[in-house]
Amino acid sequence: MMDREKLILKWLNNDLNDQELQAFKTLEDYDDLERLNNNLQSFKADDYDSSSELEKVLSSIKTKKTQITRHWIKPFMRVAAILAICLSVYYYSTMVDTTYITDVAQKTIIQLPDASSVSLNAKSTLVFNKKDWKKERDVTLEGEAFFKVSKGSTFNVITESGTVTVYGTEFNVKQRDNYFEVICYEGLVGVTHNDHETKLKPGDSFLIIDGKLIAKEKENRSTPSWLNNESQFKSIPFKAVVSEFERQYGVNFTLMGIDSTQLFTGSFSHDNIDIALQSITLPLHLTYSKENNTIILKRE
Amino acid sequence: MTKQLHDNICKEHLFSSIFNKYSKDLHDFLYYKFGDRLNPKDKVQEAFVKLWQNCAKVRPDKAKSFVFTTANNLMLNEVAHQKVVLKHQQTKPKMYTNENPEFLMQEQEYNDKLQRALSNLTEPQRVAFLMNRVEGKRFKEIAELLDISTKAVEKRIYGALDKLRKEIKEL
Repeated sequence: MMDREKLILKWLNNDLNDQELQAFKTLEDYDDLERLNNNLQSFKADDYDSSSELEKVLSSIKTKKTQITRHWIKPFMRVAAILAICLSVYYYSTMVDTTYITDVAQKTIIQLPDASSVSLNAKSTLVFNKKDWKKERDVTLEGEAFFKVSKGSTFNVITESGTVTVYGTEFNVKQRDNYFEVICYEGLVGVTHNDHETKLKPGDSFLIIDGKLIAKEKENRSTPSWLNNESQFKSIPFKAVVSEFERQYGVNFTLMGIDSTQLFTGSFSHDNIDIALQSITLPLHLTYSKENNTIILKRE
Repeated sequence: MTKQLHDNICKEHLFSSIFNKYSKDLHDFLYYKFGDRLNPKDKVQEAFVKLWQNCAKVRPDKAKSFVFTTANNLMLNEVAHQKVVLKHQQTKPKMYTNENPEFLMQEQEYNDKLQRALSNLTEPQRVAFLMNRVEGKRFKEIAELLDISTKAVEKRIYGALDKLRKEIKEL
Protein backbone atom coordinates (compact mmCIF):
# COMPACT_ATOMS: atom_id res chain seq x y z
CA MET A 1 0.00 0.00 0.00
CA MET A 2 1.36 3.39 -1.00
CA ASP A 3 1.43 6.13 1.49
CA ARG A 4 -1.04 8.98 1.35
CA GLU A 5 1.24 11.66 -0.12
CA LYS A 6 2.33 9.41 -2.99
CA LEU A 7 -1.27 8.59 -3.81
CA ILE A 8 -2.27 12.24 -3.79
CA LEU A 9 0.66 13.16 -6.01
CA LYS A 10 -0.22 10.42 -8.45
CA TRP A 11 -3.80 11.63 -8.42
CA LEU A 12 -2.62 15.16 -9.12
CA ASN A 13 -0.55 13.94 -12.03
CA ASN A 14 -3.39 11.78 -13.39
CA ASP A 15 -1.15 8.79 -12.87
CA LEU A 16 -3.29 6.47 -10.77
CA ASN A 17 -3.86 2.94 -12.00
CA ASP A 18 -7.08 1.12 -11.10
CA GLN A 19 -5.71 -0.42 -7.98
CA GLU A 20 -4.26 2.86 -6.79
CA LEU A 21 -7.50 4.66 -7.58
CA GLN A 22 -9.35 2.30 -5.30
CA ALA A 23 -6.85 2.95 -2.58
CA PHE A 24 -7.13 6.71 -3.19
CA LYS A 25 -10.90 6.57 -2.84
CA THR A 26 -10.56 5.01 0.57
CA LEU A 27 -8.51 7.94 1.86
CA GLU A 28 -10.32 9.86 4.56
CA ASP A 29 -9.84 13.17 2.71
CA TYR A 30 -11.03 11.83 -0.64
CA ASP A 31 -14.30 13.76 -0.48
CA ASP A 32 -12.51 16.93 0.50
CA LEU A 33 -10.10 16.65 -2.40
CA GLU A 34 -12.85 15.89 -4.88
CA ARG A 35 -14.85 18.87 -3.71
CA LEU A 36 -11.84 21.15 -3.90
CA ASN A 37 -11.05 19.84 -7.33
CA ASN A 38 -14.58 20.41 -8.60
CA ASN A 39 -14.77 23.89 -7.24
CA LEU A 40 -11.37 24.82 -8.62
CA GLN A 41 -12.75 24.37 -12.13
CA SER A 42 -14.75 27.55 -11.75
CA PHE A 43 -11.52 29.55 -11.51
CA LYS A 44 -10.50 28.50 -14.97
CA ALA A 45 -8.70 31.06 -17.08
CA ASP A 46 -10.67 33.00 -19.69
CA ASP A 47 -11.28 31.13 -22.90
CA TYR A 48 -8.41 31.44 -25.29
CA ASP A 49 -8.81 30.90 -28.99
CA SER A 50 -5.35 30.42 -30.45
CA SER A 51 -6.35 30.78 -34.07
CA SER A 52 -8.23 34.05 -33.68
CA GLU A 53 -5.43 35.41 -31.48
CA LEU A 54 -2.90 34.37 -34.08
CA GLU A 55 -4.82 36.28 -36.73
CA LYS A 56 -4.68 39.39 -34.58
CA VAL A 57 -0.95 39.02 -34.06
CA LEU A 58 -0.28 38.44 -37.74
CA SER A 59 -2.33 41.44 -38.74
CA SER A 60 -0.58 43.63 -36.19
CA ILE A 61 2.77 42.33 -37.41
CA LYS A 62 1.83 43.35 -40.91
CA THR A 63 0.96 46.85 -39.83
CA LYS A 64 4.08 46.91 -37.68
CA LYS A 65 6.14 46.06 -40.73
CA THR A 66 5.76 49.61 -41.93
CA GLN A 67 6.85 50.67 -38.49
CA ILE A 68 9.93 48.52 -38.81
CA THR A 69 10.86 50.33 -42.00
CA ARG A 70 10.20 53.50 -40.05
CA HIS A 71 12.78 52.23 -37.54
CA TRP A 72 15.60 52.73 -39.91
CA ILE A 73 14.26 56.15 -40.75
CA LYS A 74 15.05 56.96 -37.12
CA PRO A 75 18.73 57.80 -37.79
CA PHE A 76 17.57 60.08 -40.57
CA MET A 77 15.22 61.73 -38.14
CA ARG A 78 18.18 62.37 -35.86
CA VAL A 79 20.16 63.92 -38.66
CA ALA A 80 17.14 65.97 -39.61
CA ALA A 81 16.79 67.17 -36.04
CA ILE A 82 20.42 68.26 -35.93
CA LEU A 83 20.01 70.04 -39.26
CA ALA A 84 16.92 71.75 -37.95
CA ILE A 85 18.84 73.00 -34.93
CA CYS A 86 21.71 74.24 -37.12
CA LEU A 87 19.25 75.96 -39.44
CA SER A 88 17.45 77.64 -36.59
CA VAL A 89 20.73 78.83 -35.12
CA TYR A 90 21.67 80.20 -38.53
CA TYR A 91 18.25 81.72 -38.94
CA TYR A 92 18.42 83.26 -35.48
CA SER A 93 21.88 84.68 -36.09
CA THR A 94 20.76 86.30 -39.33
CA MET A 95 17.68 87.63 -37.58
CA VAL A 96 19.90 89.56 -35.25
CA ASP A 97 20.52 93.10 -36.35
CA THR A 98 23.85 94.07 -37.84
CA THR A 99 25.40 97.10 -36.17
CA TYR A 100 28.20 99.38 -37.33
CA ILE A 101 29.71 101.94 -34.99
CA THR A 102 32.31 104.56 -35.82
CA ASP A 103 34.32 106.29 -33.14
CA VAL A 104 35.67 109.81 -32.96
CA ALA A 105 37.76 110.74 -36.00
CA GLN A 106 36.74 107.54 -37.80
CA LYS A 107 34.79 107.07 -41.01
CA THR A 108 33.67 103.94 -42.72
CA ILE A 109 31.87 102.77 -45.82
CA ILE A 110 29.30 100.04 -45.38
CA GLN A 111 27.96 97.85 -48.15
CA LEU A 112 24.30 97.03 -47.54
CA PRO A 113 22.84 93.63 -48.58
CA ASP A 114 21.79 95.06 -51.94
CA ALA A 115 24.03 97.32 -53.99
CA SER A 116 23.35 100.26 -51.69
CA SER A 117 26.19 101.72 -49.71
CA VAL A 118 26.45 103.95 -46.70
CA SER A 119 29.34 106.20 -45.72
CA LEU A 120 29.30 106.62 -42.00
CA ASN A 121 30.81 109.79 -40.50
CA ALA A 122 32.62 109.93 -37.16
CA LYS A 123 30.89 108.93 -33.90
CA SER A 124 27.86 107.40 -35.58
CA THR A 125 25.92 104.18 -35.37
CA LEU A 126 24.09 102.33 -38.13
CA VAL A 127 21.87 99.33 -37.49
CA PHE A 128 20.09 97.18 -40.03
CA ASN A 129 18.69 93.69 -40.42
CA LYS A 130 20.15 91.49 -43.13
CA LYS A 131 17.33 88.99 -42.96
CA ASP A 132 14.47 91.39 -43.53
CA TRP A 133 16.36 93.37 -46.13
CA LYS A 134 14.37 92.02 -49.07
CA LYS A 135 11.09 92.84 -47.39
CA GLU A 136 11.88 96.20 -45.88
CA ARG A 137 15.01 98.24 -46.28
CA ASP A 138 15.12 99.90 -42.88
CA VAL A 139 18.24 101.25 -41.26
CA THR A 140 18.45 102.99 -37.94
CA LEU A 141 20.90 105.85 -37.77
CA GLU A 142 22.43 107.81 -34.96
CA GLY A 143 24.88 110.40 -36.23
CA GLU A 144 25.67 111.26 -39.81
CA ALA A 145 25.78 109.18 -42.92
CA PHE A 146 25.68 109.54 -46.67
CA PHE A 147 23.52 107.04 -48.50
CA LYS A 148 23.77 105.77 -52.03
CA VAL A 149 20.62 103.75 -52.44
CA SER A 150 20.18 101.37 -55.33
CA LYS A 151 16.77 101.07 -56.96
CA GLY A 152 14.32 98.84 -55.20
CA SER A 153 11.68 98.99 -52.52
CA THR A 154 11.34 101.98 -50.21
CA PHE A 155 14.38 102.65 -48.13
CA ASN A 156 13.87 104.09 -44.67
CA VAL A 157 16.42 105.76 -42.47
CA ILE A 158 15.02 105.88 -38.99
CA THR A 159 16.49 108.43 -36.60
CA GLU A 160 15.40 109.84 -33.27
CA SER A 161 14.42 113.11 -34.92
CA GLY A 162 12.50 111.69 -37.86
CA THR A 163 12.34 109.16 -40.59
CA VAL A 164 13.83 109.65 -44.02
CA THR A 165 12.14 107.74 -46.80
CA VAL A 166 14.04 107.27 -49.97
CA TYR A 167 12.53 107.15 -53.39
CA GLY A 168 15.66 107.96 -55.30
CA THR A 169 19.29 107.50 -54.71
CA GLU A 170 21.73 109.81 -52.95
CA PHE A 171 21.26 111.75 -49.79
CA ASN A 172 22.95 112.73 -46.54
CA VAL A 173 21.41 112.45 -43.11
CA LYS A 174 22.87 114.24 -40.13
CA GLN A 175 21.25 113.77 -36.79
CA ARG A 176 23.12 115.20 -33.81
CA ASP A 177 22.01 116.77 -30.54
CA ASN A 178 19.15 119.12 -31.45
CA TYR A 179 20.33 119.03 -35.04
CA PHE A 180 18.70 117.18 -37.88
CA GLU A 181 19.69 117.76 -41.46
CA VAL A 182 18.87 115.88 -44.63
CA ILE A 183 20.31 116.87 -47.97
CA CYS A 184 19.17 115.20 -51.15
CA TYR A 185 21.78 114.91 -53.89
CA GLU A 186 20.00 112.78 -56.43
CA GLY A 187 16.50 111.37 -56.88
CA LEU A 188 13.76 112.00 -54.37
CA VAL A 189 13.83 111.83 -50.57
CA GLY A 190 10.96 112.13 -48.13
CA VAL A 191 11.59 113.35 -44.60
CA THR A 192 9.01 112.67 -41.95
CA HIS A 193 9.40 114.93 -38.97
CA ASN A 194 6.64 115.23 -36.37
CA ASP A 195 4.35 113.19 -38.63
CA HIS A 196 4.78 115.65 -41.46
CA GLU A 197 6.49 114.51 -44.62
CA THR A 198 8.59 116.86 -46.71
CA LYS A 199 9.81 115.73 -50.12
CA LEU A 200 13.28 116.79 -51.14
CA LYS A 201 14.46 117.10 -54.72
CA PRO A 202 18.13 117.11 -55.68
CA GLY A 203 19.83 120.06 -54.05
CA ASP A 204 17.06 120.51 -51.48
CA SER A 205 17.85 120.24 -47.83
CA PHE A 206 15.89 119.90 -44.68
CA LEU A 207 17.36 121.33 -41.50
CA ILE A 208 16.03 121.49 -38.00
CA ILE A 209 18.02 123.08 -35.20
CA ASP A 210 16.58 123.11 -31.70
CA GLY A 211 13.23 122.08 -33.12
CA LYS A 212 13.04 125.00 -35.58
CA LEU A 213 12.92 124.46 -39.29
CA ILE A 214 15.60 126.47 -41.01
CA ALA A 215 15.44 127.35 -44.66
CA LYS A 216 18.61 126.78 -46.65
CA GLU A 217 19.65 127.72 -50.12
CA LYS A 218 20.12 125.10 -52.80
CA GLU A 219 22.98 122.73 -52.41
CA ASN A 220 25.03 122.54 -55.58
CA ARG A 221 27.53 119.88 -54.67
CA SER A 222 26.99 116.31 -55.72
CA THR A 223 28.18 114.71 -52.49
CA PRO A 224 28.45 115.95 -48.91
CA SER A 225 31.70 117.72 -48.14
CA TRP A 226 32.65 115.39 -45.30
CA LEU A 227 33.21 112.61 -47.80
CA ASN A 228 36.14 114.74 -49.00
CA ASN A 229 37.38 115.21 -45.45
CA GLU A 230 35.94 118.63 -45.06
CA SER A 231 33.07 119.94 -42.98
CA GLN A 232 31.13 122.74 -44.58
CA PHE A 233 28.67 125.05 -42.90
CA LYS A 234 26.31 127.67 -44.20
CA SER A 235 24.78 129.87 -41.51
CA ILE A 236 24.99 127.20 -38.88
CA PRO A 237 25.09 128.00 -35.15
CA PHE A 238 28.65 128.01 -33.93
CA LYS A 239 27.96 125.33 -31.28
CA ALA A 240 27.07 122.82 -34.01
CA VAL A 241 30.31 123.65 -35.75
CA VAL A 242 32.24 123.16 -32.53
CA SER A 243 30.65 119.78 -31.77
CA GLU A 244 31.37 118.58 -35.30
CA PHE A 245 34.98 119.68 -34.78
CA GLU A 246 35.09 117.72 -31.51
CA ARG A 247 33.84 114.63 -33.29
CA GLN A 248 36.31 114.88 -36.12
CA TYR A 249 39.43 115.51 -34.01
CA GLY A 250 38.49 113.95 -30.68
CA VAL A 251 39.10 117.13 -28.73
CA ASN A 252 37.11 119.21 -26.23
CA PHE A 253 36.35 122.90 -26.58
CA THR A 254 36.01 125.47 -23.86
CA LEU A 255 34.32 128.64 -25.07
CA MET A 256 35.22 131.77 -23.09
CA GLY A 257 32.74 134.61 -23.55
CA ILE A 258 31.64 133.53 -26.96
CA ASP A 259 28.05 133.48 -28.22
CA SER A 260 27.68 129.89 -29.37
CA THR A 261 24.47 130.63 -31.23
CA GLN A 262 26.05 133.06 -33.69
CA LEU A 263 25.95 131.76 -37.21
CA PHE A 264 29.01 130.44 -38.95
CA THR A 265 29.62 130.06 -42.62
CA GLY A 266 32.75 128.30 -43.77
CA SER A 267 34.47 124.97 -43.58
CA PHE A 268 37.27 123.09 -41.86
CA SER A 269 39.44 120.25 -43.04
CA HIS A 270 39.69 116.92 -41.27
CA ASP A 271 43.38 116.45 -42.01
CA ASN A 272 45.18 119.24 -40.19
CA ILE A 273 43.98 120.46 -36.82
CA ASP A 274 45.88 123.74 -36.90
CA ILE A 275 44.57 124.80 -40.28
CA ALA A 276 41.14 123.61 -39.24
CA LEU A 277 41.28 125.68 -36.04
CA GLN A 278 42.29 128.73 -37.98
CA SER A 279 39.44 128.10 -40.41
CA ILE A 280 36.86 128.32 -37.69
CA THR A 281 38.43 131.02 -35.53
CA LEU A 282 39.65 133.65 -38.01
CA PRO A 283 36.27 134.46 -39.57
CA LEU A 284 34.82 135.14 -36.10
CA HIS A 285 37.90 136.98 -34.82
CA LEU A 286 38.66 134.42 -32.15
CA THR A 287 41.96 133.17 -30.74
CA TYR A 288 42.66 129.64 -29.66
CA SER A 289 45.08 127.93 -27.33
CA LYS A 290 45.65 124.18 -27.07
CA GLU A 291 46.16 122.33 -23.82
CA ASN A 292 46.40 118.57 -24.28
CA ASN A 293 43.00 117.64 -25.62
CA THR A 294 41.27 120.82 -24.64
CA ILE A 295 41.06 123.82 -26.86
CA ILE A 296 40.18 127.18 -25.37
CA LEU A 297 38.54 129.76 -27.61
CA LYS A 298 38.57 133.46 -26.69
CA ARG A 299 37.67 136.73 -28.29
CA GLU A 300 40.58 138.56 -29.78
CA MET B 1 14.73 15.48 -34.11
CA THR B 2 17.48 17.29 -32.28
CA LYS B 3 19.04 19.04 -35.22
CA GLN B 4 17.63 22.50 -35.87
CA LEU B 5 15.91 22.64 -39.21
CA HIS B 6 15.80 26.41 -39.13
CA ASP B 7 18.02 28.73 -37.24
CA ASN B 8 15.41 31.44 -36.99
CA ILE B 9 11.65 31.78 -37.11
CA CYS B 10 11.19 34.55 -39.64
CA LYS B 11 8.98 32.34 -41.79
CA GLU B 12 5.33 32.98 -41.17
CA HIS B 13 4.33 29.30 -41.04
CA LEU B 14 7.07 28.59 -38.53
CA PHE B 15 6.04 31.55 -36.45
CA SER B 16 2.40 30.46 -36.59
CA SER B 17 3.20 26.96 -35.46
CA ILE B 18 5.15 28.31 -32.50
CA PHE B 19 2.24 30.57 -31.73
CA ASN B 20 -0.23 27.72 -31.82
CA LYS B 21 2.02 25.59 -29.66
CA TYR B 22 2.65 28.05 -26.85
CA SER B 23 0.22 30.94 -26.91
CA LYS B 24 -2.51 29.27 -24.86
CA ASP B 25 -0.08 28.03 -22.23
CA LEU B 26 1.47 31.47 -22.08
CA HIS B 27 -1.95 33.03 -21.70
CA ASP B 28 -2.90 30.62 -18.91
CA PHE B 29 0.43 31.15 -17.20
CA LEU B 30 -0.09 34.92 -17.23
CA TYR B 31 -3.70 34.57 -16.16
CA TYR B 32 -2.98 32.40 -13.15
CA LYS B 33 0.01 34.44 -12.17
CA PHE B 34 -1.35 37.97 -12.58
CA GLY B 35 -5.11 37.53 -12.84
CA ASP B 36 -7.16 39.02 -15.63
CA ARG B 37 -6.86 42.69 -14.71
CA LEU B 38 -3.83 43.33 -16.89
CA ASN B 39 -5.15 41.75 -20.07
CA PRO B 40 -3.10 38.58 -20.42
CA LYS B 41 -4.33 38.26 -24.03
CA ASP B 42 -2.84 41.60 -24.97
CA LYS B 43 0.45 40.67 -23.35
CA VAL B 44 0.57 37.42 -25.28
CA GLN B 45 0.05 39.39 -28.48
CA GLU B 46 2.68 41.93 -27.58
CA ALA B 47 5.18 39.25 -26.67
CA PHE B 48 4.68 37.44 -29.98
CA VAL B 49 4.92 40.67 -31.95
CA LYS B 50 8.24 41.26 -30.19
CA LEU B 51 9.27 37.72 -31.07
CA TRP B 52 8.51 38.50 -34.70
CA GLN B 53 10.54 41.71 -34.59
CA ASN B 54 13.46 39.77 -33.17
CA CYS B 55 12.85 36.67 -35.25
CA ALA B 56 16.31 36.77 -36.82
CA LYS B 57 17.95 36.63 -33.41
CA VAL B 58 15.81 33.98 -31.72
CA ARG B 59 16.38 30.31 -32.46
CA PRO B 60 13.23 28.12 -32.55
CA ASP B 61 14.22 26.28 -29.39
CA LYS B 62 14.56 29.58 -27.56
CA ALA B 63 11.27 31.01 -28.80
CA LYS B 64 9.23 29.64 -25.91
CA SER B 65 11.41 31.12 -23.20
CA PHE B 66 11.59 34.36 -25.18
CA VAL B 67 7.85 34.89 -25.21
CA PHE B 68 7.41 33.72 -21.62
CA THR B 69 10.10 36.06 -20.36
CA THR B 70 8.92 38.93 -22.51
CA ALA B 71 5.28 38.61 -21.53
CA ASN B 72 6.21 38.21 -17.88
CA ASN B 73 8.30 41.38 -18.03
CA LEU B 74 5.52 43.25 -19.81
CA MET B 75 3.26 42.28 -16.92
CA LEU B 76 5.79 43.21 -14.28
CA ASN B 77 6.22 46.62 -15.90
CA GLU B 78 2.57 47.29 -15.30
CA VAL B 79 1.72 45.46 -12.17
CA ALA B 80 1.54 47.60 -9.09
CA HIS B 81 2.04 44.65 -6.94
CA GLN B 82 -1.38 43.90 -5.65
CA LYS B 83 -2.86 40.71 -4.46
CA VAL B 84 -4.18 38.69 -7.37
CA VAL B 85 -7.80 37.67 -7.02
CA LEU B 86 -8.88 35.22 -9.67
CA LYS B 87 -12.40 35.75 -10.78
CA HIS B 88 -14.89 33.07 -10.10
CA GLN B 89 -16.89 32.00 -13.12
CA GLN B 90 -20.56 31.53 -12.40
CA THR B 91 -20.80 28.34 -14.38
CA LYS B 92 -22.74 25.73 -12.46
CA PRO B 93 -21.19 22.29 -12.27
CA LYS B 94 -23.51 20.03 -14.16
CA MET B 95 -23.31 17.08 -11.85
CA TYR B 96 -25.32 18.78 -9.15
CA THR B 97 -29.03 18.72 -9.76
CA ASN B 98 -30.17 18.97 -6.19
CA GLU B 99 -29.70 22.71 -5.92
CA ASN B 100 -31.54 23.69 -2.84
CA PRO B 101 -30.83 27.17 -1.44
CA GLU B 102 -28.85 25.89 1.50
CA PHE B 103 -26.58 23.91 -0.73
CA LEU B 104 -26.08 26.91 -3.00
CA MET B 105 -25.20 29.04 -0.04
CA GLN B 106 -22.66 26.55 1.19
CA GLU B 107 -21.16 26.35 -2.25
CA GLN B 108 -20.92 30.12 -2.42
CA GLU B 109 -19.21 30.20 0.92
CA TYR B 110 -16.79 27.47 -0.06
CA ASN B 111 -15.90 29.25 -3.27
CA ASP B 112 -15.27 32.51 -1.46
CA LYS B 113 -12.89 30.72 0.87
CA LEU B 114 -11.23 29.07 -2.07
CA GLN B 115 -10.85 32.36 -3.84
CA ARG B 116 -9.14 33.94 -0.84
CA ALA B 117 -6.96 30.90 -0.32
CA LEU B 118 -5.85 31.00 -3.97
CA SER B 119 -4.91 34.64 -3.57
CA ASN B 120 -2.76 33.73 -0.64
CA LEU B 121 -0.70 31.22 -2.60
CA THR B 122 2.66 32.35 -3.92
CA GLU B 123 2.70 33.11 -7.63
CA PRO B 124 4.76 30.03 -8.58
CA GLN B 125 2.49 27.82 -6.47
CA ARG B 126 -0.68 29.22 -7.97
CA VAL B 127 0.57 28.97 -11.54
CA ALA B 128 1.76 25.38 -11.24
CA PHE B 129 -1.25 24.24 -9.24
CA LEU B 130 -3.91 25.70 -11.52
CA MET B 131 -2.10 24.67 -14.70
CA ASN B 132 -2.29 21.17 -13.27
CA ARG B 133 -5.73 21.14 -11.73
CA VAL B 134 -7.66 23.33 -14.15
CA GLU B 135 -5.75 23.01 -17.40
CA GLY B 136 -5.05 19.32 -16.78
CA LYS B 137 -1.34 19.59 -17.45
CA ARG B 138 0.95 16.89 -16.15
CA PHE B 139 3.96 17.72 -13.99
CA LYS B 140 6.37 17.13 -16.82
CA GLU B 141 4.59 19.51 -19.19
CA ILE B 142 4.51 22.24 -16.59
CA ALA B 143 8.18 21.68 -15.84
CA GLU B 144 9.00 22.16 -19.53
CA LEU B 145 6.94 25.31 -19.80
CA LEU B 146 8.48 26.89 -16.74
CA ASP B 147 11.98 25.58 -17.36
CA ILE B 148 12.19 23.94 -13.95
CA SER B 149 12.53 20.33 -12.79
CA THR B 150 9.59 17.96 -12.43
CA LYS B 151 10.46 17.60 -8.79
CA ALA B 152 10.11 21.36 -8.29
CA VAL B 153 6.72 21.32 -9.97
CA GLU B 154 5.63 18.47 -7.74
CA LYS B 155 6.74 20.40 -4.72
CA ARG B 156 4.92 23.55 -5.78
CA ILE B 157 1.69 21.74 -6.54
CA TYR B 158 1.67 19.61 -3.41
CA GLY B 159 2.58 22.65 -1.34
CA ALA B 160 -0.25 24.59 -2.91
CA LEU B 161 -2.75 21.82 -2.26
CA ASP B 162 -1.65 21.56 1.35
CA LYS B 163 -1.89 25.28 1.90
CA LEU B 164 -5.30 25.56 0.27
CA ARG B 165 -6.81 22.78 2.35
CA LYS B 166 -5.45 24.21 5.56
CA GLU B 167 -6.75 27.67 4.79
CA ILE B 168 -10.17 26.46 3.76
CA LYS B 169 -10.47 24.56 7.02
CA GLU B 170 -9.38 27.56 9.07
CA LEU B 171 -11.42 30.24 7.36
